[in-house]
Amino acid sequence: MQTTASPSLPAAQQTASVRAPGPARPYGRYLYLAINIAILVFLLAPIAIVVVFALNPTPFIQFPPVGVSLRWFEKFFASRDFMHALGFSLEVAVLTTLSATALGASAALALARGNLPGARLIVATMLSPLMLPAILTGLALFQTYVLLDVGRPTWGLVAGHTLVTLPYVVRTTLAVLHNFDLRLEEAAQNLGASPVRTFFEVTLPLIKPGVLAGAIFAFIVSFDQFPVSLFLVSPGNETLPVTLFNYLKFDLDGTIGAASVVSIVLAFVVVIGLDRTVGLRSYVKL
Amino acid sequence: MSASIEIAGVSKVYDGGVRAVDAVAMDVRQGEFFSLLGPSGCGKTTTLRMIAGFETPSSGAIRVDGADITHVPAHKRDMGMVFQNYALFPHRTVAENVAFGLRMRGLDKATIAAKVKAALAMVELSGLEDRRPAQLSGGQQQRVALARAIVIAPRVLLCDEPLGALDKKLRQQMQFELKQLQKKLGLTLVFVTHDQEEALAMSDRIAVMNGGRVEQVGTPTEIYNQPTTRFVADFIGDTNIFRGERVGPNLDVGKGLILALPPSEMQGTGVLSVALRPEKIRLIPRAESAAAGSSAHGIVENTNFLGGAVLYRVELAGGHRVLVQQPNAGTSRLFVPGNGVTLEWTPADLVVLKD
Ligand SMILES: Nc1ncnc2c1ncn2[C@@H]1O[C@H](COP(=O)(O)OP(=O)(O)OP(=O)(O)O)[C@@H](O)[C@H]1O
Ligand SMILES: [Mg+2]
Repeated sequence: MQTTASPSLPAAQQTASVRAPGPARPYGRYLYLAINIAILVFLLAPIAIVVVFALNPTPFIQFPPVGVSLRWFEKFFASRDFMHALGFSLEVAVLTTLSATALGASAALALARGNLPGARLIVATMLSPLMLPAILTGLALFQTYVLLDVGRPTWGLVAGHTLVTLPYVVRTTLAVLHNFDLRLEEAAQNLGASPVRTFFEVTLPLIKPGVLAGAIFAFIVSFDQFPVSLFLVSPGNETLPVTLFNYLKFDLDGTIGAASVVSIVLAFVVVIGLDRTVGLRSYVKL
Repeated sequence: MSASIEIAGVSKVYDGGVRAVDAVAMDVRQGEFFSLLGPSGCGKTTTLRMIAGFETPSSGAIRVDGADITHVPAHKRDMGMVFQNYALFPHRTVAENVAFGLRMRGLDKATIAAKVKAALAMVELSGLEDRRPAQLSGGQQQRVALARAIVIAPRVLLCDEPLGALDKKLRQQMQFELKQLQKKLGLTLVFVTHDQEEALAMSDRIAVMNGGRVEQVGTPTEIYNQPTTRFVADFIGDTNIFRGERVGPNLDVGKGLILALPPSEMQGTGVLSVALRPEKIRLIPRAESAAAGSSAHGIVENTNFLGGAVLYRVELAGGHRVLVQQPNAGTSRLFVPGNGVTLEWTPADLVVLKD
């Protein structure tokens, strides 16, 4: 059994058994597992703390916890302010995702294909919001809106969010376009597909994984956006992070935790939903 | 129904001034297997892409069955194309790849299914309908590309080195099958290759290209036996090329070697190049005398055993080096380096070349 590795063993295990036969073998595997678990703990610990905070019956976390309660969730869902903020955040995130995806994907196509002069400079400009602190972007937009005297409309906020999420869509779409074989489009045209048809039959399906990844980033970044929103929301029409921030200034209790848990679940639902409907998975194995 | 193609004085200058194709003129007849043959960078792909509509000629016209299509967009040309890397759609199954052109033509589902089935049967891929291209071998991908191109019954089938990525054995098999299919369907086929053996074996006619120009158009036998230019003689197979001054009915190629010109070429003066194929020369043990103009003495310098034949390099008395190919007539009759030999040939086998 030790000399003939079973064919169903994973390759890594087979080589391990060749290199270190006998009792040494399991330790490598335990170490490997331990490192992986440590990474997972590190990544998931903040979420766990938030969940504990949300389910903790007392306003402040106590160790050991004195029980489990849903009172903070009740308070969160009963609050008109929070519910309005949640709805508004979702609305802004959806609008931002749509505009950033449409603009970003089109821009990436033009930049990759259009033979534009100064394409590199344009790419750098489009990606620059990633490099700037978002608070500067927020402040600059705020001043611009004041100068233009447009007030603080929802579209202004969506425009701000689009600005900071556009780089994600441009980046991910450019990445798939970079590896795109142009002969596939020629093959489609050769078989009788008009340029428009070629785009929808060949180009779009093939760049979809990149566009979708960008769209998911855009949604999450917008839903989570604080610095830009802080400058651009109007009183009574605030996004969830801004409302949470204002709430925190006066109260600190499990409602914050409950709101965070709801946000996490929502983000999860969006990613899973996109995966199920437009299918990320079918592209992983091309 | 397959069509004829007329390429009338077509040139292509790319941005940056590369003249990739230079005043190419040739006709491809209906139902013909026509090859574009030439070294890398000679403009074969560019010519094919202009026929397909992926590049616009800088000047000249392309006509199909007499109709000018120079500015017709690619998707309205009704031509099939097999790309060098096959260009199969990675996100679609084999059946969907083959069905693509039929779908674009708006055929109904039942007709498409029947045609796809027939096309896959023709290239012997039945049963692989639901695979993705990435799950196929190179030869299978090649067949899918072929099925996808012929299922639309194109007026013209264009192939850009379609067999280039296959190993030798599979390549020969696919050469044979492609040729069979082309004859059976009566396809007009323009085939790009830089492999002269492939072109000679498969084509009805060949256009030999060099530096963006067509050097010669002809049947494989014409191209091989009567090359008209030095480039063609040199590019196709092994050959001996001599250049010299006409002296009466002979050509003085220097170093004491005089060649009798073929009867049709005895008139004229000036400098001339001629080609003589290695297999058109006979090699015999050193004779007492050599007939002036159609034989010469020499010493075997080295030998290259090809199996059915032997290629000798012989150094002539004056210093010329000549390739001679002889059938393998048995071990006892082979020459070895250092043997003194006499070369004999028939003056009519000399081919006069344009430079
Ligand atoms: N898009 C392009 N822009 C500029 N020059 C080009 C372009 N495509 C090809 N060329 C040039 O045109 C010439 C002919 O190229 P082409 O691809 O037609 O050669 P080919 O005969 O197909 O060669 P190969 O056997 O290597 O495929 C080459 O010098 C090439 O560098
Ligand atoms: Mg080429």
